[in-house]
Amino acid sequence: VLALLIANSLALAALLVMLASGLALIYGLRDVINFGHGAIYMLGAYLGYTVALVGGFWLALVVVPILLAVLGIAFEYLALRPLQGRSHIEVALVTLGLGIILGQIIVFFYGGVARSVDAPQVLSGSVTVGSLSYPMYRIFLIVMGLGSCALLALWLRFTSSGLHVRAVSQDPSVARMMGINADRLSLLVTSLSAAFAGVAGVLAGPYLSIDPGMDVTMIVNCLIIVVIGGTGSIGGAIVAALLFGLVQVAGSVFVPNIATLVPYVLLMVVLLIAPRGIGRGRVLN
Amino acid sequence: LNNRTTTAESLRAAKLGAFGGHVSRMPLAIAGVAIVFVLGAVAPTQFAGDFVLRLGNEGLLLGMLALSVAFLMNQAGLVALGAASVYGGAGFLFAIAMREWDLTPMAAVCVSFFAIVVYATILGALIVRTNPLAFMMLTLAAGEMISHGVLLEGLRDLTGGADGLVVNFKGAILGMEAADFADPARFWLVAWVATWLAGLALWAVGRSRLGAILRAVRENEERMRFSGFDTYLPRLIAYVLVNMVAAIAGLLHVLNAGFVSPESLGLSISTNTLVAALMGGIAGCVGPIAGGLIFSFAQDEFGARGLTQLLTGIAIVVFIVVFPRGVVGGLWSAVRPQVRALCGRRERS
Repeated sequence: VLALLIANSLALAALLVMLASGLALIYGLRDVINFGHGAIYMLGAYLGYTVALVGGFWLALVVVPILLAVLGIAFEYLALRPLQGRSHIEVALVTLGLGIILGQIIVFFYGGVARSVDAPQVLSGSVTVGSLSYPMYRIFLIVMGLGSCALLALWLRFTSSGLHVRAVSQDPSVARMMGINADRLSLLVTSLSAAFAGVAGVLAGPYLSIDPGMDVTMIVNCLIIVVIGGTGSIGGAIVAALLFGLVQVAGSVFVPNIATLVPYVLLMVVLLIAPRGIGRGRVLN
Repeated sequence: LNNRTTTAESLRAAKLGAFGGHVSRMPLAIAGVAIVFVLGAVAPTQFAGDFVLRLGNEGLLLGMLALSVAFLMNQAGLVALGAASVYGGAGFLFAIAMREWDLTPMAAVCVSFFAIVVYATILGALIVRTNPLAFMMLTLAAGEMISHGVLLEGLRDLTGGADGLVVNFKGAILGMEAADFADPARFWLVAWVATWLAGLALWAVGRSRLGAILRAVRENEERMRFSGFDTYLPRLIAYVLVNMVAAIAGLLHVLNAGFVSPESLGLSISTNTLVAALMGGIAGCVGPIAGGLIFSFAQDEFGARGLTQLLTGIAIVVFIVVFPRGVVGGLWSAVRPQVRALCGRRERS
């Protein structure tokens, strides 16, 4: 039972990690929390639904992230760059507005009903290890989540662009003085984080349901994770996502009556103990 | 030359002076504000129909809520996305206090108001020490927590789940009974007076020492801390204060509507509030209230086609990017030179 619990929480955490690390990356570069991230994820899920109907799940998993990366580039050029001189709060509010607009456009096209996507044939069975059997798809989800985490970590650790991202996140002005082009990096990071949101959206299809409220649910969860992880800390976000997944799954098993409130309790506890979060994020003035 | 200034002219100057705040014209300014107050209280109840009054009432309550958000934004630089949780929460508490605990209406109002103050104090104590962005995220999270909490299966008997609660209101509050609150014209008077009181109170706080400290902390918290100021308590006080205003708006809403639904806790109410505040302009007390009224009538105009949410999103973007000062702020800065010129001419003559 414990193994199941951990596996389930990992599956949930895999999705959250992909979204929260995207948020943390943009925050590190631009000092902006993208409140529209939930809507991008929702768009990923709905586009994934459409593409999966036409060309199957695997095609969706490839095409949707690319489409969303393009959207991320548009977001960078049309929203983040023109508003660079404005206060961070204002930009955050603009992303909130854009997220609402995007969400409403999606609802306009797809209507208000929930949709579901079937997992592809290969992943629809379940795996039996010893006496336990576990859905194949969730294992795939865990692998994808951990894999993208690992890729992200490798990129940040071992490539020059990753080094630059870390440098800007640590100290924007010094990094700029050393000749790092934050705009170009931001373009990369924004499209990357939108693409990650797309992957998460497609993956969420067969696992959770696709419905018009998913953007708000997800953005709230991600914000909780980002706060717990320490704003802007990617490592912190990963740990916080794992913790969040564990707490939520454990909550739904042990205290099903109040399971929806468990993440908030976690948030309050962390804030009480460590108001800056558990990670070593850059402290915003 | 002095004799030529007619009464109408001096009245107009008085009204304009109310915004500018020139000490020598204080009595005139007060007179002008008083005239606006009386006109606004009486005229709509005489000339507007019930439907328009209902929209106006909604607008005033939304304006009050927007006032609380705008005050915190303008003075402390903190954006609260959880206004709805206090607004609807106060309504739920009142309904529960009336239904379950058999309190008199006045006692129920006091209990729910007090409970909101306690809630705001505890939540505020946790979240005002974080940075403004985290504050924004946390208020959003707290708001979602409340709206999920109300829908919990275990609390269904208490909160009515997705159906909400009908208030069975017997007795009177300050001499007003349920029918009085439900009557649009009478409620307009109540809402109008309450909005004015809230606006004046926040205006006074904004001009007090507390307001000055808040603005200084907003500009640079570290500097204020370094200068020996407590930066935590002023923000906490401001947070509790604006939540009091939001709670009053919520209580008035439940008294007027006679029921409370989980939708009143939803994120869309919070974003509507934000839009109202941005639309009117967050600086000053007139803007947010005007914004609430504009929003209410605009929603009636465009909302029927199911576009409210979409337009809300667009309004947030447009008002922040293009008109950061909002309608009232923009108008004021447009007429300001003329006012200056007018005042200057009067002084010279």
